[in-house]
Amino acid sequence: MTSTQFKSRLLCDKTPLEKETESIDSIKRALKNPLSQYIIFGIILIALQALSSLGDELRITIIKVSFMSALGSTLIYSMVSIGFCLLLGYSGLASLGTAGFIGIGAYCAFFCLQEWNVPYIVAILFALAVSIVIGVLVGFISLRIEGIYLAIITLGLAEILRYALQAIRATININLKNIVLFGTKIDKTTVYYLIVIVLLILMWITSNMINSPTGRAMLAMKNSTSAAQAYGISLMKYRLLAFVLSTCYAALAGVMYMMYLRSVSTSMSTLFKLATSLNILGAVIIGGAKSIWGVLAGTFIMYGLSPMFLSDVKFLTENPTFITLFTGFLIILVVMFYPGGLAQLVQLGKIKISAFIKKAKEKKYGKSI
Amino acid sequence: MTVFDNLASTLLGSLPSISVLVLATLAVTLIFKTSYTTNFAQGVISAVGSYLVMELMLFYRVPMYIGILAGITAGILIGLFIDIVIFRNGRYVNAIGKQIITMGMVSLLVGVIPFVFKTAGLEAVYLMPMVALNKYVVLSKNIAIQINSLVYFGISAVIVTVVFLLLNLSKWGLGVRSTASNEQVAGMLGINTYVITAASWAIAGALGAVSATMYAGFNMMSNSLFMTTIQVNAFLACILGGFATFYGPVLGAVIIPLISALIGFTAIYIPTLSTWREVLVYVVLLLLILWKPQGLFGPRAVRKV
Amino acid sequence: MAKVFKSLLLGICDKTIMRLKNSSRKYEILQNHRVESSLSRQVKKNNAQLYKLLVATNTAEQIFDIKMYKAIKQYDLSAHWTQRAVNTKYANVCFSSSDNIDVLNTAKRLHAEQINEIAKKRAIYVEKWNQRKQAYLATHIDNQTVIDKSKQDFEQLLQNACGEIDAQFETKYAVAQDKIKVHQSITDRKLASALERKNKLLRNEFQPLSEDTVLSVKDLCMYFGGLHAVEKLSFDVKKGEIFGLIGPNGAGKTTVFNCITQFYKPTSGQLLFNDKQNQTIKLTDYAVHDIVLQGISRTFQNVEVIKEISVLENLLIAATRFYTSSILEHALHLPILRIEEKLIKDRALNLLELMGLSTYKDWYAYGLPYGILKKIEIARALMVQPKLIILDEPAAGLNDTETAELAKLIKRIRDEFNCTILLVEHDMSLVMSVCDRICAISFGKELATGTPKQIQADKSVQEAYLGVVEE
Repeated sequence: MTSTQFKSRLLCDKTPLEKETESIDSIKRALKNPLSQYIIFGIILIALQALSSLGDELRITIIKVSFMSALGSTLIYSMVSIGFCLLLGYSGLASLGTAGFIGIGAYCAFFCLQEWNVPYIVAILFALAVSIVIGVLVGFISLRIEGIYLAIITLGLAEILRYALQAIRATININLKNIVLFGTKIDKTTVYYLIVIVLLILMWITSNMINSPTGRAMLAMKNSTSAAQAYGISLMKYRLLAFVLSTCYAALAGVMYMMYLRSVSTSMSTLFKLATSLNILGAVIIGGAKSIWGVLAGTFIMYGLSPMFLSDVKFLTENPTFITLFTGFLIILVVMFYPGGLAQLVQLGKIKISAFIKKAKEKKYGKSI
Repeated sequence: MTVFDNLASTLLGSLPSISVLVLATLAVTLIFKTSYTTNFAQGVISAVGSYLVMELMLFYRVPMYIGILAGITAGILIGLFIDIVIFRNGRYVNAIGKQIITMGMVSLLVGVIPFVFKTAGLEAVYLMPMVALNKYVVLSKNIAIQINSLVYFGISAVIVTVVFLLLNLSKWGLGVRSTASNEQVAGMLGINTYVITAASWAIAGALGAVSATMYAGFNMMSNSLFMTTIQVNAFLACILGGFATFYGPVLGAVIIPLISALIGFTAIYIPTLSTWREVLVYVVLLLLILWKPQGLFGPRAVRKV
Repeated sequence: MAKVFKSLLLGICDKTIMRLKNSSRKYEILQNHRVESSLSRQVKKNNAQLYKLLVATNTAEQIFDIKMYKAIKQYDLSAHWTQRAVNTKYANVCFSSSDNIDVLNTAKRLHAEQINEIAKKRAIYVEKWNQRKQAYLATHIDNQTVIDKSKQDFEQLLQNACGEIDAQFETKYAVAQDKIKVHQSITDRKLASALERKNKLLRNEFQPLSEDTVLSVKDLCMYFGGLHAVEKLSFDVKKGEIFGLIGPNGAGKTTVFNCITQFYKPTSGQLLFNDKQNQTIKLTDYAVHDIVLQGISRTFQNVEVIKEISVLENLLIAATRFYTSSILEHALHLPILRIEEKLIKDRALNLLELMGLSTYKDWYAYGLPYGILKKIEIARALMVQPKLIILDEPAAGLNDTETAELAKLIKRIRDEFNCTILLVEHDMSLVMSVCDRICAISFGKELATGTPKQIQADKSVQEAYLGVVEE
């Protein structure tokens, strides 16, 4: 480091013209920054809820309540999917234990909030602590058993969790009414805000992770364990990390789910079963396992599309399984022809559009050498 | 009742589960050996078969054996459909991709079943009392065995024997074994791996249909995913026995219900265990698998760098 | 039991050493960054003022000219593209065998017309702008004194800013360096004691290697069940030499490498290595992923380049353990990560430049030709500043020219990066031309060790390769 290095930066060699274009560039750059994208996304989500509440007060329906609650649960499942994207897309670890992990969070929330009457933040921390333990456990298992076998083992583990939770309490009567959140008593709107905030934080952390040496190390581990190990990447460390993160995300989602449901009587076996794990997997595959936005889109297709927009279509309300059929069909098509999922489709579209623009330019000005 | 009586009756009680699980496991193993993937749709394919049987018997008054034959045919057709239409036409399908496609098949079939079958709307029905649910063969003063279980076990044993004979003696069996060890080399040696794989899928579908029909005889068909537990157990049985051999998974499929029965037997004396029975079964399985990741009957593999 | 305890203690020692080293490096990076960022802030602040003054020094005419330039630019651009199109056609005609000059001529004519048209339009446009300019200048009259004053101010400010930066740099940099020194002296003391402890642990177990030996393999045995892949193999690798390991197929060469890098835990035998601090260590004490920290990096027989990421990122992967920032810092994207990323990226770019791979830096490794993948692997091995590089069949799959290039490259790496090279190879021409010493093995047993000439003359080696000659 020398002082001339700084002095050379002093000389103002930019013409006013460059300065002008620079300001536009800086806006573009800011929009490309993931953090600002997430903040904009969050603002849109919160604005939707605010509009809906406004409609409630004015006694008109701007946005239907069913739409908002479907959006809320979609966002909750998005948290799980993002964790799963870290696990499948980056670490190459296929897990079918997701339902069990969400169940842990849900049960922790139930016991903390209803039976023990502790603040919600303690419930979240408790759920995280439990899920870290489980994540470490699964991580150790993944060191001994790999690939296709791991999916099956985690499936077995999910069964263990399901039966264990059922043995602890077969049916749970959730009735959360007295929890203070953001200074007011809990209701669907405040929980929704909490969900948006937590989701945004998770998205930000995940995108930081995957663009850092940690994410690269995970990718290396996924592609070639021997190269990864030869260059100092400890399989144990990163597999544990991946599992701990994904279980934590799932558990957080479970806590949010309980708080969002608020009052219902249900049991573990109806809440989270194999179908949940498969749906999350499907969401991640459809969206593209390596892109956060793709995963969000996938989750939306799996969980949000029919209750949010298609709830009025008569055919679908009469045949509720049609949407399952459709998603199955979609999963098969995506894996057959676009293994990168929707994210890959968008990428291909972008390339095609830019090629089209280039062609148009060439037509106008002629080909360059 | 003596301890021996209790033990004997719990063990005999696991016979139906063993017979069902063995068939399901054999199907999963066959597909794993030829397509290098775990078929998550196995349970739903079987469910389609059993729903068809039920539909034919309840609404069309078709005799049972014809119904079962139709169920088997449905299983075979779906198996062939997955292999020939989906797997062969995919552009980028690898092992994990195949696995996920079968998961997609689960969603697809779960969506299809209520459209096609009227019976899917009925809740909690038992299918096909083979002989009679309440007929017993009395073995001793305290031990009796359902005739159904014996019939199931017989069917299952016959089918397993036939499949093993086919595997070891027939040309198809040789093809399966060589495809299992190396698909490309097998292909180069003039074995038509396509036919082999398709045949395996067909047989797996048939096995599935039989197993689901049998399972529906002593368990409820609550919804189209009623075979899930059996399927999960079949996968675990495969890993427990080791995918390396054909007999390993089958033995694994015998072991799992036995473990369950043994835990059930201890639960007679320690009542709190009964709530935790399933948990304990899976924990034991998990520990066994962790102890020998290559399977109880599989060889150890050395990683090449 | 005692052995397990000892290796546990050793592990703790190594962890401490690494943590200390990391902390001192991290401190240095952060302090330097603090100086840099505070000065950068200063520069930015000054730049804003300078820019304002610079605009003020412009006359109204100049300011208008810039606007006009921007408006007219599109015509120049399209004329430029049209001209380029003609050039392309010309080049095509020159290179193609068919002499369709007519096509070229019509194209030229057409394009000339186009250019003419553009020029006409441009002239009209310029005229319009000139009129606007007149109108503009009529309303905006330059105040010469103001402009002069701004010019003066600008000069003054520039001088002031330079002086300020100088002064600030002197003090801040000096303070930072002092702080770094103090911190380093503390960590150095701790480091010394940690190293001492490690030494104590290692003492008595083996004789330390002499300065000029890097790796010593002694009585190495590796059995897979009944298969004796390597049996009682011993050799020493001297500092700065290129050591070759040759043998027929299945002689156990790669197994030896895997034992050295701990992918396999040897059945018995001693593997000693002089690490980066010139301390002798037993490689079997370390886990696979810790070997790279001691200064050994390797390439693979069947190229293990990560296909899902770009070539540059492949190099960055090798540096994963050289980041001082923790996972939490990665998750929150703290500044330390950004600084480190820049430093390590620069290193990687330099290496790519050296390997002649700069053009491929943003390409995905998927689908790149084999020769390039091999080069990427070597670059990646160099990323970790190794003391010993292990090359597993570097010439496999390369053609003759590529092999000759590789030979040069290997020698260059040895000289420029100051490291020792251990290689396994089938290509005898490469081995004989590059290696200083060679060890020939067959069925896991040593046949002979010596210079290439000695090996070529050795009877037993000839027999192993060509079969026993019956006399």
